[in-house]
Amino acid sequence: MRIDPDRLTADSVQAISAQDVPAMVAGNQLLCSAMGAAGVDGVTLCVTQLLRKHGPVPLLDLASLPPEAMCAAVGAVGGFAPLIELPPFGDEFTLAVRALEERVGRRLDAIVSLNAAGPNALFPIAAAAALGLPLVDCDGMGRILPLIHQTTYALGGLPVTPLAGASQSGDVVVLDTRSERADRLLRGVVDASGGFMICALYPATAGELRNAAITGSTSRILRAGRLLATASGRSSALAGLAHTMGARLLASGRISELCHSSPSVGTRHYPSMPTSIVVDEYGRAGRTVRLEAQNELLLALIDGAVAAAVPDILCLFDRQKLRLVGLEGVIVGDHVDVLVIPAAPMWHSSRGLAVAGPRAFGFPVCHPREGGRR
Amino acid sequence: MNRQRPPGPLTVAELVHSGPLGRAHLVAAPHLDQHVTGVSLISDLAQARRCAPNTALVVHPAAAPGVWALESALRFAWERNASCVVAPSEISVTDSTKQLAERLRVPLFTVDDPAEQALELAATIADTEAVRCRLTARCAVLLGERHRPQDIVAVINNEVPGVRVVLVTPDGHTLAGRAADNRPAGDPHQVRVPVPGPDGRPWAELVAHLATPSPSWVQTVETILRVARAPLAAAIAHAQLSSAHQASKDRLLLEALLNGEATLPKGPPALHSTAGRTDVEQIAREAGWRLDGTHVAVCLRPLEGEVCALDAITPGIVAAWQEAFPQLPLVPMPRGWVTWFTGESADPALLADLIRRRLAGARIPIALATGIGQPATGLKGLRQSVAEADLAAEVAGRNGENSVELYGELGPRVVLARLPLAEIADAALVLLADLAADPRTDVLVETLSVLLDCAGSTGQAASRLGVHRNTVLGRIERIRACGVDPDAPEQRLALHIACYALRSTRPWK
Repeated sequence: MRIDPDRLTADSVQAISAQDVPAMVAGNQLLCSAMGAAGVDGVTLCVTQLLRKHGPVPLLDLASLPPEAMCAAVGAVGGFAPLIELPPFGDEFTLAVRALEERVGRRLDAIVSLNAAGPNALFPIAAAAALGLPLVDCDGMGRILPLIHQTTYALGGLPVTPLAGASQSGDVVVLDTRSERADRLLRGVVDASGGFMICALYPATAGELRNAAITGSTSRILRAGRLLATASGRSSALAGLAHTMGARLLASGRISELCHSSPSVGTRHYPSMPTSIVVDEYGRAGRTVRLEAQNELLLALIDGAVAAAVPDILCLFDRQKLRLVGLEGVIVGDHVDVLVIPAAPMWHSSRGLAVAGPRAFGFPVCHPREGGRR
Repeated sequence: MNRQRPPGPLTVAELVHSGPLGRAHLVAAPHLDQHVTGVSLISDLAQARRCAPNTALVVHPAAAPGVWALESALRFAWERNASCVVAPSEISVTDSTKQLAERLRVPLFTVDDPAEQALELAATIADTEAVRCRLTARCAVLLGERHRPQDIVAVINNEVPGVRVVLVTPDGHTLAGRAADNRPAGDPHQVRVPVPGPDGRPWAELVAHLATPSPSWVQTVETILRVARAPLAAAIAHAQLSSAHQASKDRLLLEALLNGEATLPKGPPALHSTAGRTDVEQIAREAGWRLDGTHVAVCLRPLEGEVCALDAITPGIVAAWQEAFPQLPLVPMPRGWVTWFTGESADPALLADLIRRRLAGARIPIALATGIGQPATGLKGLRQSVAEADLAAEVAGRNGENSVELYGELGPRVVLARLPLAEIADAALVLLADLAADPRTDVLVETLSVLLDCAGSTGQAASRLGVHRNTVLGRIERIRACGVDPDAPEQRLALHIACYALRSTRPWK
């Protein structure tokens, strides 16, 4: 069943062209929790070339799709470093999707995002362009999370598998196993195939996705990216982010400490680089803001009290350069705003917090919204 | 110790000074005066949320996967009014954590084995008396090793946590310790213990200010203050003895110098120079005394009639003098104290002004008079100037408090200053008993004195007295009727001195 965008209402569709890629790159950093997106030039180039070759990709509302329309999520699984060193060639998307289609016995009608943050905000666009399919404006994380089953898709009861992965070498694997085993099995293959693979996973109909997806993800980061590109000053940028993303200013200050430590007890099963950042807040009160990170910012304590925690998104905004700062670019002495962007409501449920709350990352603390608080 | 009284809780400071926290690394030390009534060993960060007030929150390594968890524990400790936080030392505490502890006013310690620390803390808190007895015992040992009042008070201030002690005189002068607050009497934060001097009479008072008073803690502090009294009395006695000993040495040395002796008589080794020499001049020079150049001697003396033991007040006089003239020795002598100015400052008139000003503001316990000699050169000159100053001081002593007399302005009159006028006056009253019995004794004694001053000339005497010559003749007749013959040559000197003594000492002079 091919979806004809012309049959959809005009309000529910827009297209992503090559000209939109810079805004997508700028906007998706907001949901990276300071994981950083520096060095994605190769990815950007790959996506831009595919869009130029195949034309703009229609972006559809999930609600506008027929319930029986077949969808699957597309995203890269693996390490960030190999992705920077050798970006995808462009064939991986077709290989992965065709392998999945063959396994499920149906052709896909649309592509959805695994997580509309970081490079994975761009890969579904590339996949849609390469396959000539529309992209659905939704994702399964609303941010970056390390495991492929840490998604609202899984919270909504959708299985990760069968999934298909394609490497740059042309290797194609199809995994058909239980969701909780999929990540562990896939990582072994990913490591062997060069560090990352483009995967097509979570095959589901639009009707199934309606109770499981975070809608509006892609258009939201597109709007945020355009805002950051055009903001004239810090105040207008923060006000725009508050309006667009619901971003809240947690604190403003100067980074006074930055230390990397070895993984501590309870977090060793994650691929992580623990980092601790201390921000001395401005003003007479001079509160101490400590940010704990494992690849991405996960926890914020103000004077020892938990002020924000994963799955809500913590970002560092450079007050002088008016841009987001990744962990790899943070240095002592930087003047930053610490922003919190609330996660999708599904994540604040007890099941959501169990999957992606602070305790899931080895922090034995309660989420600020846990137990009916705030 | 009064066992009937329940022991008050220990403070964090006591656990640091006398308990197991003494071995812990103190990261941040705000508000150590908080009481500790229990221990909470948490192996899960969530347990910190439920810790009881006034407990020592001990964080097991399992509850602290990072420095962030320690800061979270500090926060819970603050919210729950815990007394302190004890963390495992394997957590690398940074400046920001230290600053957070300071801002939340929660003392933070790190230890190698938090579980063992928790056990020791619990045992200590269960027996507060043992901790305080150990504190008292250690203070007693340290107090016994100190010999100056400042050091003794410092022992209490350093060793007794949460207590500020000051040693004050009855008039409020601070002798040692940190400045006291003006707290009303009966304040529970204050403990006062009187301190007797070496002679047993009240000398000063130890005043302690307690940050966190409790009945048993007050009792402990009072006990330590009482223990400090004997060392304080010994210290002040030692100071007085040292001062008296130094004064004796100086006096012996100056007397030998003035008498022209070349060597000191054999005595205690301390009287001699460190090299064992007995050469008087050499010892004096080693003592910093200036013997060359032009000297002007100054002699201080109690007012005539002032009853005092010079040896007893010498330390006070010397201390007051050295506040006014730190570089000049003041040497006790049989009737007063001697010093001398040398060099350009040796001008008698200028010295008179200087000494008047300086002594007026000094804390001198008795009324003094001052005599100043003439400038003279070298050791011989010093002897001469000292003799002159002594004579001038004799005259000044009869002129009232703070009187200063220059020898150069007195002339031969100074000879009269040495006369024992009181004894002579007593003898004169016997000799001139009839004259003294006359109702006009004062007029007759004055007339006789003036007649002798005028070598028997009745005309000059009448002129000086301002009366007619016949009046003088009449008075001479009455004097003669009393058995006194002013014309007898062998009696004239005795009569003259008797009249001088009577006029100088009697109210009707």
